Amino acid sequence: MATGFFTDATLCIGCKACEVACKQWNELPSDGFEFTGNSYDNTSQLSGTTWRHVDFVERESFDESGLKTSWSMVSDVCKHCTNAGCLEACPTGAIVRNEFGSVFVQPDICNGCGYCVVSCPFGVIDLIEAVGRGDDAKKYGLATLHDDRLNDRKTAVQATGGVAGKCSLCFDRQRVGMVPACAKACPTESIQFGEIEELHERAKRRVETLQERGVEARLYGADDIGGGIGALNAFFLLTESPEAYNLPVEPVLPSTRQTMGYAAAAAAALTLATIGWAIFRGDA
Amino acid sequence: MKSYYDRPLLKGPHWGANVVTYLFLGGIMGGLGLISLLSDDRPEPAMKKLRKATRYTAFALAAINPPILISHLGRPERFLNMLRIVKFKSPMSLGVWGLVLYSGAAGANALRELADDGIVPSALRYVAPSATVPIQALLGAFMAGYTGVLISATAIPLWAAGKRHIPAFSVCSGAASASALATLLSTLQGNHEVIPRLERLEMAASALEIVTIADFRKRGGRATAPLFEGRVGKRLRDYTILGGIVVPFVLNAVGGAVRLPKSIDALRSIAASMLTLIGGYVLRESLIEAGKLSANDPQAAFRQPS
Repeated sequence: MATGFFTDATLCIGCKACEVACKQWNELPSDGFEFTGNSYDNTSQLSGTTWRHVDFVERESFDESGLKTSWSMVSDVCKHCTNAGCLEACPTGAIVRNEFGSVFVQPDICNGCGYCVVSCPFGVIDLIEAVGRGDDAKKYGLATLHDDRLNDRKTAVQATGGVAGKCSLCFDRQRVGMVPACAKACPTESIQFGEIEELHERAKRRVETLQERGVEARLYGADDIGGGIGALNAFFLLTESPEAYNLPVEPVLPSTRQTMGYAAAAAAALTLATIGWAIFRGDA
Repeated sequence: MKSYYDRPLLKGPHWGANVVTYLFLGGIMGGLGLISLLSDDRPEPAMKKLRKATRYTAFALAAINPPILISHLGRPERFLNMLRIVKFKSPMSLGVWGLVLYSGAAGANALRELADDGIVPSALRYVAPSATVPIQALLGAFMAGYTGVLISATAIPLWAAGKRHIPAFSVCSGAASASALATLLSTLQGNHEVIPRLERLEMAASALEIVTIADFRKRGGRATAPLFEGRVGKRLRDYTILGGIVVPFVLNAVGGAVRLPKSIDALRSIAASMLTLIGGYVLRESLIEAGKLSANDPQAAFRQPS
């Protein structure tokens, strides 16, 4: 039975507990500290070492009482696509679909080629650069780890030479019947974890309730999102259009372009071979 | 226009000069496979010399290109991870197998020439059947084309928009660069007889290449802008379009039409060849660099090319 996330923008309070819980459980290093000036979002994006990221969409409006600011927050995450661009692109078979229907990166098989990075239509997966001893370790906040601990770590971060990193949907926790760290930590149940069908039911009921209350609510990725990707195992309830949360409106599965590409290459090669044959062997 | 603080939606490629070089040499390997086939089994000594030159060069490139690819993996032994599966949906996976098989075919063809030259025992030629010549040409076409498919089968808007154009002009550029390299080698060897033919092949490939690039540009829109505008666009125009296609085309056309003194003609063909090779490298470099810029434009990524 496939499991996934239903992340509800109308319940998110922007506390970032999901980000912290994810970093802690998955032993992901810090990404440095930077004030972006973009509302309360100083995380900015999902990355190889940030697997949950809270979007802060700010809206300002005027009425008789003056300037009003409203927020819509939602915790972004790997979508665990039905047809995943990263999984299809991976030349080593490091990226697999596990028994929970999640897209999982096996760090010991990944060779750091980076092809998955450009093949994700949602810009989720990224390379974690080499992490070793000394300055590298310090840069990633690992320097304080005990040597044995550093050696024992089986997470993506520790593999030297760079590997791809993204949300594993807490594969390790799921295997022992635990809820993923982010969903467990979420204080408002904005992040709900469960079996996909069950989550769909809940999401549809939630949208109906919200619409009755006059809230513009829409689901993102609960049904087939198009472009060959299918439905998303991690789907969202949004109150703004997808662009506002940096989500693509029309994502496309990259591998669908291959047939056309090979055909165009073959046509060019055949044309040149014919011309070449006339030039080199036309007189024979 | 709506966006999330104008933050990039996509992640750009982590690829640098070693991947650019790999793509460039892969294209040349492809073109050399074609020239090796075209000059195969011909009685003229000049053709025989050209055949040998292309086969030895193709084999040399097949030997140095994998290490260049491996160098971007950080840990060399991880190249082997790609040999644990064959995945038809991944151009990267198919490409690695194409490279391995091409190297085998190029090795067989080089071995047969070595036996023919008496450098290795002549009995060894029977190890390498002559069928490897068309096989190398076929795999070569794949080598030159798959890099274009690999790039366009991604989410990067610029690359995705070129799903037909990029594979096609990659093949053309590979053939033009291979002809240029073969011309260069033949000039250095004093094998002048084959040069007019090589230059005509180069002109045909370059003409098809520039038409395809122009058509890609005409498609226009936000997605293709990073390749044709700004710093990358200027570099592409100067080094690839003008320096790498137009100028060598004119030089080759002059060489075909006018009988120049031998030394000047040699200089002319060396200049044309060098310019074509530089243009081919810059084309690959511009594609990668423009891809990085394209990934940073969220507006181009909200609605992705089909």
